[in-house]
Amino acid sequence: MMPASGKGVASVGKKAREPSKRGWAFAAAALVVVVVLELGLERMIPDSSIRQLLMLAACNVLVALSLNVINGMAGQFSIGHAGFVGLGAYTSAVVSAHLHEAMGGGEVTFAKSFVVVPIALLASAVVAGTFGYLVGLPSLRLKGDYLAIVTLGFAEIFRLLIATAQLGEKETIGEAAAKIGKDGVVGPFFHMLQVGITSLGGQNGYAGPKNQGLPLYAGPFWVFGLALVLGVLAYRLKFSGWGRALRALREDEIAAAAVGVDPTRYKVRSFVIAAVGAGIAGGLMAMNRDGTPTVQPDNYNFQASFDAITMVILGGSGSVTGAAIGGVLITFTVKAIEAVQSTRVVQDLKSSVPWLDLNALRMMLYAAVLIALMIWRPEGLLGERELFQKQKLRPLKLPKPSPDHPKPDEPDRAPAAAANEPAKPVVAAADEPAKSDGDEPEKGAPP
Amino acid sequence: MSDLVLEGVSKSFGGLRAVADVSFSVKAGRIFGLIGPNGAGKTTVFNLVTGVYKHDVGSIRFGSTNLLPLAPAKVAEVGIARTFQNIRLFTQLTVLENLLVACELQKRAHLAAAFFRTKVHYEDEELMHHRAMELLEVFGLQDAADEPSTSLPYGNQRRLEIARAMMLKPKLLLLDEPAAGMNYGEAEGLKTQIRWLRDKFDLTVVLVEHNMQVVMGVCEEIHVLDHGETIAHGTPAEVQNHPKVLAAYLGGDDDDDDDDEAGKAPPGAEAKKTGPASTATAKDAGSEP
Repeated sequence: MMPASGKGVASVGKKAREPSKRGWAFAAAALVVVVVLELGLERMIPDSSIRQLLMLAACNVLVALSLNVINGMAGQFSIGHAGFVGLGAYTSAVVSAHLHEAMGGGEVTFAKSFVVVPIALLASAVVAGTFGYLVGLPSLRLKGDYLAIVTLGFAEIFRLLIATAQLGEKETIGEAAAKIGKDGVVGPFFHMLQVGITSLGGQNGYAGPKNQGLPLYAGPFWVFGLALVLGVLAYRLKFSGWGRALRALREDEIAAAAVGVDPTRYKVRSFVIAAVGAGIAGGLMAMNRDGTPTVQPDNYNFQASFDAITMVILGGSGSVTGAAIGGVLITFTVKAIEAVQSTRVVQDLKSSVPWLDLNALRMMLYAAVLIALMIWRPEGLLGERELFQKQKLRPLKLPKPSPDHPKPDEPDRAPAAAANEPAKPVVAAADEPAKSDGDEPEKGAPP
Repeated sequence: MSDLVLEGVSKSFGGLRAVADVSFSVKAGRIFGLIGPNGAGKTTVFNLVTGVYKHDVGSIRFGSTNLLPLAPAKVAEVGIARTFQNIRLFTQLTVLENLLVACELQKRAHLAAAFFRTKVHYEDEELMHHRAMELLEVFGLQDAADEPSTSLPYGNQRRLEIARAMMLKPKLLLLDEPAAGMNYGEAEGLKTQIRWLRDKFDLTVVLVEHNMQVVMGVCEEIHVLDHGETIAHGTPAEVQNHPKVLAAYLGGDDDDDDDDEAGKAPPGAEAKKTGPASTATAKDAGSEP
């Protein structure tokens, strides 16, 4: 492209990739750790409720990381993130349960998880990403808060469709699908959809095709491993041209468009990325080894979306490590509040004051945390910074122009002198292009 | 090389005709001035060219490209860069990052490359850093590369905007009041820079400007608008003595709609009155190649 700078790029490019050796070491260490966790977590932490909490925290980290892409980096307010998490959860539940059946059922083993989990998560990612595109495309073309309303609507429609589906006559999806074409197209199609949604179990939750409980394939290897991998990807996204463009877009859409950053394209793509991440997080939640063997629609209600937003804002909008910290903190906070609710004192209080609502206590504590945050750290714990922020990719230091070849802007630095001799800068400028040709590849670039 | 051609362009906002039947063409390689009193529709013309607004009637072409159906980001792709009247920098980004945003179009690396940190990604980043630092040096901003862009003094913010526009490798550069807020010396420097940029990067430059010192000193051709209509067109010398232009600026029978910037109007008018005469010598010196 630019012959003059080609040589420099090759040498500097190598230098910039040097940390990759450290990267491989880090990856190998992480792999060892997750395998050890996979095999030994049960012995290390015998209490399954604590294991569940840790795994849930990792899943919530993924939720926060994905929401951070669209809410934090791109600055678009999505308040229906749980909808995508739920989509991913149901997709993975259905796919893994059927795969499990197809492989002959039996015990859930670590070896089999290498077949089931990738396929299930891929399905979750594709489904959530597709819906992300369908939801994002119309609403992100518009400026303003449309996205918030559309995502909220989407998440509630998703949840209520599943929760309120009524069990009618027993009919499999195959039978319903066979009617398409025979009895017309539109009617049977919606009938098939209805049968399909009904088969997801309604308000009681989905527990596999024969209601025998979901196979829980995602052990610590998958949950912690994917949390790490996707965390690294989110970090890379932020510190790339793409991340920069998203931040620019957040600052000033008109100026970003004027320099070639297409607002709709960047926003829709980042929304799809966020939806895909949420889908994977949901899939892991559904298959979580220490979780419940059902998927319930109420796990993906507005409260869950709101928790996700809180994680991002608590950690610092736009910060990847901040979102991860937020995910962990909120998971623990919610758990801690539940623990406080079940203590003797609170239970005694409840029995002596019958009108006291324990849910109100949860909301009060939660609100107190948020208010404290807004007062002391309105930008979140980390702001937009990262916890272990690497030294930025340093630009090359170009040879400094010697003082006797002033740049054309010289008079601007010494306005008094320029005012007295307005003709001087013209001479300096006429000199300038010829002298600086050597270090200016632009001159050589146009053919 | 591509010319910018406007033919019979009109744009109304409700009942207000912001631009009425304006036609002009900017030859490739020219420095072209678009002037007129406040509210004349100059910035609207810029917004029409860059796709921020869509014109109602007429055609705007750049070379063989019809600009009407293009969104702003596509206009940037065609090779038209602009600056803004009220500076629009990415305030949370550093000076260097402001420039790097503008090279998204030139990257070979796509999103997947950023995720997997391929060789292309690093090469692109290095190349863009290199180019950005070179441009910052051209504008004397290299020492502030890692500063937040808002920490720059006003004049440097304006120049950063020009540098950012130059990152696009544009063929046509639209400058919206680049000299606003600059003192005499800074404006002199700006004139030199504009000419230098044009020569070095084979640019076409269109500038909207109130500072007559700059307009008369640097423009080779001037188009004058008032109330959205063309009132004059020609070389600086022709335009300066055009009766309609004098009437529009100094107030003839035609009442100026300066009310939107009433506070600014008196000193502005003063500068315009004295501007052309006092900078005549500077202009003569400047227009010699």
